Amino acid sequence: MILWATLGRRLVTAVPILCVVSVLLFTALRVLPVDPAAMSMPPNATKEEIEAARREMGLDRPLPEQYGLWLGRAMRGDFGRSIHHRRDAGALVRETLPGTIELALAAMAVSSVLGLGGGLLLFGLRERTMEPVAETVTTLMMSVPEFLWALLFIFVFGVALQAMPFTGRLDPGMKLPGLTGFLVLDAVLTGRLDILWSALVHLVLPAVALGLAFAPPIMRVLRASLIDTYHEDYIRQARLRGVSEGRILIRHALKNAVLPTLTLMGVQFGFLFGGSLLVEVIYSYPGMGNLMVDAVRNADLPIIQVVGLTYCVVVLVINSVVDGLYLVLNPRLRPR
Amino acid sequence: MTLLVARRLTVSTVLGGMRAPVIRGLDLSLAPGKMLGLVGESGAGKSMIGRAIAQVMPAGFAVTGGLLEFDGRDLVGMPAAARRSLLGRDIAFIPQEPLTALNPVLTVGAQMEEHFSHLGVNTRAERLARAIAALEAVHLRDAADLLARYPHQLSGGMCQRVLIAMAFASRPRLVIADEPTTALDVTIQARIVSLMAELQRRDGTAVLFITHDLRLAGRICDEVAVLYGGSVIEQGPARQVLETPLHPYTRCLQLANPALSGARRGLYALPDQMPGLRALAGMQGCHFAPRCPLAGDECRVRMPDLAGETRRVACWQPDLTAGIGAGPAPPAVGVRTSGVKLVEVRGLGKIFRTGSVFRRRQTRAVIDVDFDIAAGEFVAVVGESGSGKSTLGRLLMGLERPSSGTIRLDGRIVSVPGEAARRHRIRTAQMVFQDPQSALNPRRRVADIITAALEAAGADRATRAMRASALLAEMGLAPEIGGRTPSQLSGGQRQRVNIARAVCLVPKLLVADEIVSGLDVSIQAQLLALLQRLRRDHAFAMLFISHDLSVVRHLCDRVLVMYQGAIVEQGPVEQVFARPLHAYTRSLLAAA
Repeated sequence: MILWATLGRRLVTAVPILCVVSVLLFTALRVLPVDPAAMSMPPNATKEEIEAARREMGLDRPLPEQYGLWLGRAMRGDFGRSIHHRRDAGALVRETLPGTIELALAAMAVSSVLGLGGGLLLFGLRERTMEPVAETVTTLMMSVPEFLWALLFIFVFGVALQAMPFTGRLDPGMKLPGLTGFLVLDAVLTGRLDILWSALVHLVLPAVALGLAFAPPIMRVLRASLIDTYHEDYIRQARLRGVSEGRILIRHALKNAVLPTLTLMGVQFGFLFGGSLLVEVIYSYPGMGNLMVDAVRNADLPIIQVVGLTYCVVVLVINSVVDGLYLVLNPRLRPR
Repeated sequence: MTLLVARRLTVSTVLGGMRAPVIRGLDLSLAPGKMLGLVGESGAGKSMIGRAIAQVMPAGFAVTGGLLEFDGRDLVGMPAAARRSLLGRDIAFIPQEPLTALNPVLTVGAQMEEHFSHLGVNTRAERLARAIAALEAVHLRDAADLLARYPHQLSGGMCQRVLIAMAFASRPRLVIADEPTTALDVTIQARIVSLMAELQRRDGTAVLFITHDLRLAGRICDEVAVLYGGSVIEQGPARQVLETPLHPYTRCLQLANPALSGARRGLYALPDQMPGLRALAGMQGCHFAPRCPLAGDECRVRMPDLAGETRRVACWQPDLTAGIGAGPAPPAVGVRTSGVKLVEVRGLGKIFRTGSVFRRRQTRAVIDVDFDIAAGEFVAVVGESGSGKSTLGRLLMGLERPSSGTIRLDGRIVSVPGEAARRHRIRTAQMVFQDPQSALNPRRRVADIITAALEAAGADRATRAMRASALLAEMGLAPEIGGRTPSQLSGGQRQRVNIARAVCLVPKLLVADEIVSGLDVSIQAQLLALLQRLRRDHAFAMLFISHDLSVVRHLCDRVLVMYQGAIVEQGPVEQVFARPLHAYTRSLLAAA
């Protein structure tokens, strides 16, 4: 009940946020000294031809009117045509978004497992002789950015060991089944185990590269939060009731200590979504990041706009999911 | 036959490379079915004894000598698994803070089930049935419904009942209760104590009752041991120790406690505080000697042993103890310094609105309150938590905006918005907050904190420094305290700083919210004496919010009794306490 109320409230606040973001995106891009009309014409076009194209694209009207026109179309699902690809911008996002979500989720899974496992390990090593070593390792991990991991993995696992593929989402020659765009899901739905395997193998290097960069903060927060939790009365009281140490950790401490970690992971997922950009480029991964990089390089305004909005929607959805999870995991947020 | 035996038990920690004992050479024995009270102020080591029994001690603390046996088995050397099977089953603990002793993310049912599973109850149905039976044994209604609830949905008293239910669920042979009633309201304290006594009788359990409250221990225990600086300094049958203490410390504690009935007397305010672990480690002679009114030359050189048969005392001259007197009676009460009404509150109400846009909820925290405070008068507000007494203080200080009614301070209405009213209010009234730990900025120096009001008034450095040293002297604090930060001070010193900050510009009214609760009796007596001296010197009035009726009787002229947001009774303290008219006042007095 309260879960739905919270999600409902999130939805209501999402509308004005999206409006503001769209206005910001629109004006920022219009203020830029690029002329989409000129760019869409062949290089030998005359001034008159360009002017005609400007009128046709509505670029001669005042900015608010342009925004209104764009918003009206966007509401109907029409985000304009990509200048560079000469295709529908919305369709391009629909094609690339699943790949990026798949990558981000895989990276999130990697960083959660590493982060939570590493956090528990760090907590277990507290005040032991190995603690400074573990501390150094996490600092090292934290200071290597994701693109460096990506390049390093290509060199080690791709080129030197030739153990892992490092371009695209599938082996060359494989056909997309094309149901949802999520390859792993589509492969399961169509029963194509060879595609499933290929998709998973292709995900490994980019997902681990991204995940590694995001795991160390999770480790640190979980360790600190576990240490705090162990000072709580209820931990001592559980000990005084004869509850075993393992049970105290898993059932009593972790359930409380994981809450701040969850907030962090929610924030991280947003960054991870943006951070996938470089990794996608490095692994020639056909995702939204690559689309965005291309669009920026070619000043492809319709694409930049729709990708920007999509990013905003994804962040809002993640925030709602984290809020919902928080309610499920933390009974103190529910009414008395 | 004895259940629990400690022989020359020593618990130590390491401070600055030196071993510092927290418990030294403790001898105790507890027979089945008996209740032994461990009484002492904070730092006396009383909680450490309970922790040593469970071997659940803070990092760096360990048993370094002596023997600790439960039912003939060595508790210290026993393997952890064997100890775990004793804990919760044969030895159970009741904690001090019921609200934080239950895991907030697990339901009451989940925690009780875990406990019964530890006790070896195998089927879920049986565990639930046992849990319900245990909750019913502690007189909790709707036990089945309670199992599905989370700790934050229960009151402190209910949480403590749940914890008591868990402690007694296995019919343990020993229960260790560490200040089980301190965090609870007075009216609930009495019920929790009688509940424990009932279960103890039912099961023939031995109870180690750890408390700072000498009177409470004297009333409910069979025997008490008084601790000071990690050693037992007096031990004997509870009533005898309470009524005719043999050790000067026990006698001083007894005299530091204000009485709820009988003739009003002064309080004995022990100087200073219990020495810290470091000081104790290097101390020769009796640990109490530096504060003892009777200390002689021998006391400062040689430590006395605990000697005697049924009454045991560690003192070189116990026969002098009875001669310690309480000092002069406090200034007569009921006398207003003038007839001028300093505070006039009429029809004051406060409604808190909570909940979402969809479901509004209202809490009427203060309902239609009328009262006056004359200049120089000390007026107490008593009531249980949630009665609205703190909200009343906050309304007076403008920290909450009234929903209805007016507040007139020194002739001027201040319950209206606006800068003029605000300025008038802060010139007239100042507040001392309950918890100095959180009320004082930990990063500022004491001298800056206590002259913050001058800072706001734009005074220069020299003026502030002069005022700071005068204030420190007035509060009985050493001049060098001004250069420290609050975290370097003891609880009593912090509360003095807290008071100093409020009296910096000598307000006409002081609003004090529970400013002596949570402090040790000897520190409380010092602060009460300080407040009386400040009243004599500066003639300010005070609204004294408190749950402790004996403190109220000692300090205040008039009392307002609050119950569920309304003032149900008010009048002169002596009159209200002697002949309470309202049923709630009677229940408060009966519980105290």
